[in-house]
Amino acid sequence: MPATDTRPGTKTILVIDDDADFTATVRSILEREGYTVVEADSGAEGLRQLKACDPDLVILDVMMESPTEGYGINEAIKYSGDYDAFQQTPIIMVSSIQESPDDRFPRAAEVDMIRPDRYLTKPLDIPKFLEIVRKVARH
Amino acid sequence: MDEAQRGETIVVIDDDHAMRLACEQALAKVGFTVSTYADGAHGLEAVGAARPGLVVVDLKMPGLSGLDVISRINAIDPTITIVVITGYATIGTAVDAMKAGAYDFLPKPFSPDELRLIVRRGFERRRLQMASQQCEIERELERRRFVTFVSHQLKTPLVAVHQYLDVLRQLGETPEAAAKRQEWLGRCLTRTDELRHLIDDWLTLAQLDGGLLGRQRTRLDLSDTVTSVLQTYEAMAARDGVTLTAELAEPIPVHGDPTCVGVLIDNLVANAIKYNRRGGTVTVRGRRAGGEVVVEVEDTGVGVPPDALPRLFDEFYRVRQPGTPKIEGTGLGLPICRRIAAEMGGVIEVESIEGTGSTFRVRLPDAEAAVPVPATGRSS
Repeated sequence: MPATDTRPGTKTILVIDDDADFTATVRSILEREGYTVVEADSGAEGLRQLKACDPDLVILDVMMESPTEGYGINEAIKYSGDYDAFQQTPIIMVSSIQESPDDRFPRAAEVDMIRPDRYLTKPLDIPKFLEIVRKVARH
Repeated sequence: MDEAQRGETIVVIDDDHAMRLACEQALAKVGFTVSTYADGAHGLEAVGAARPGLVVVDLKMPGLSGLDVISRINAIDPTITIVVITGYATIGTAVDAMKAGAYDFLPKPFSPDELRLIVRRGFERRRLQMASQQCEIERELERRRFVTFVSHQLKTPLVAVHQYLDVLRQLGETPEAAAKRQEWLGRCLTRTDELRHLIDDWLTLAQLDGGLLGRQRTRLDLSDTVTSVLQTYEAMAARDGVTLTAELAEPIPVHGDPTCVGVLIDNLVANAIKYNRRGGTVTVRGRRAGGEVVVEVEDTGVGVPPDALPRLFDEFYRVRQPGTPKIEGTGLGLPICRRIAAEMGGVIEVESIEGTGSTFRVRLPDAEAAVPVPATGRSS
């Protein structure tokens, strides 16, 4: 794991994905734009890194060890109470499967709180992805 | 009364006031919640509003007939159980009522016990029907989840390749692109290989399931199969610093499809090398034992954690061990092995100690079990 760049003014993006190749390309795209990228190859590692690097944005894969691991991580961050300090950290979910996050979050009252900020389908449309990253990342 | 049925709601529709009262008393006495109506129209209104579990309906009423009521109840909610009562009991009317969707038929006069018995049976059938519907819904959901999962597995390498190429294209002729190009193109090739293996394995599985593969029955000597598979892995084993050993009784006669038997042994040996460690060994033992043949592939590798053992033969399941490098594989090798062993009338088992190694054991019917084994019994 590369050391976290903590230069002031640099935004940190945590990429949680078990596919090292996907992460490598995302890292390259984001670093060119001046972001600092921290990687985690599992949900558990992602939660550890969340606390360690306090990212300005999380890119979160849906299917990792389990088919819904990403949703579990998203919910843990926003809803479990163990990650209160990161409840407002923006999250972009990514998956090769196209589906509406609304189907995943049927409990209407909680939707606004636990819904990820965006849901993007892999492969990423890179210009659009960067535009969303700029918009969604913590300012 | 059956506690599970306590409080269940019943609607009684009969134009005879005395009959309504008798039914209400007989059923309310044992804990059912009963409401009664004197004609079909009011009864249907109540059924639509209250959705009772069961309706007791008289067949011969002024206005809407019992048969009309039955078909309209079915239109409101087909899970509502309908019991027909009538003073004009004939086989013909009973059959008509059942055809219209009634569950059972009770001729007047009847005792309170008879009514209660038929109502309880009706509720029990309804419970079973709903449980089976629930099972059906869950099976369908499971099937859809699996289709989603398979398409995800197939898309993942494709996504990786697409992104490598897309990013390389966008980097253009920059020094950054030049530095990455060789490595990334190499990764692209690895991932396209992965996708190819995935599709091959998926096709093998589908062919096994569809009966298109494995039906050919030739007499084979498993000793030969093992020996030739081990030969093909000599280079890979040497590269990984793993020693291959065979302890084979000769012959080991089985009936099977030569391709499938080869795939079975090949997958097990490949796994035993891949999940081994430098300096480790793979030992393949084969013997005949009481009507069956046993082939064991034992490795001295990373082993399988106990909680992963039950899922080891599931499609796409990959054991993840933190701290160990990711090992390439489709997650379909062992499901294929299990299908092939089953196709040959055998089984595959695994024993494993985490950190020490695993033994995969295939037990298949001995092709010569029923007849005395001639001294020159080798078939190949």
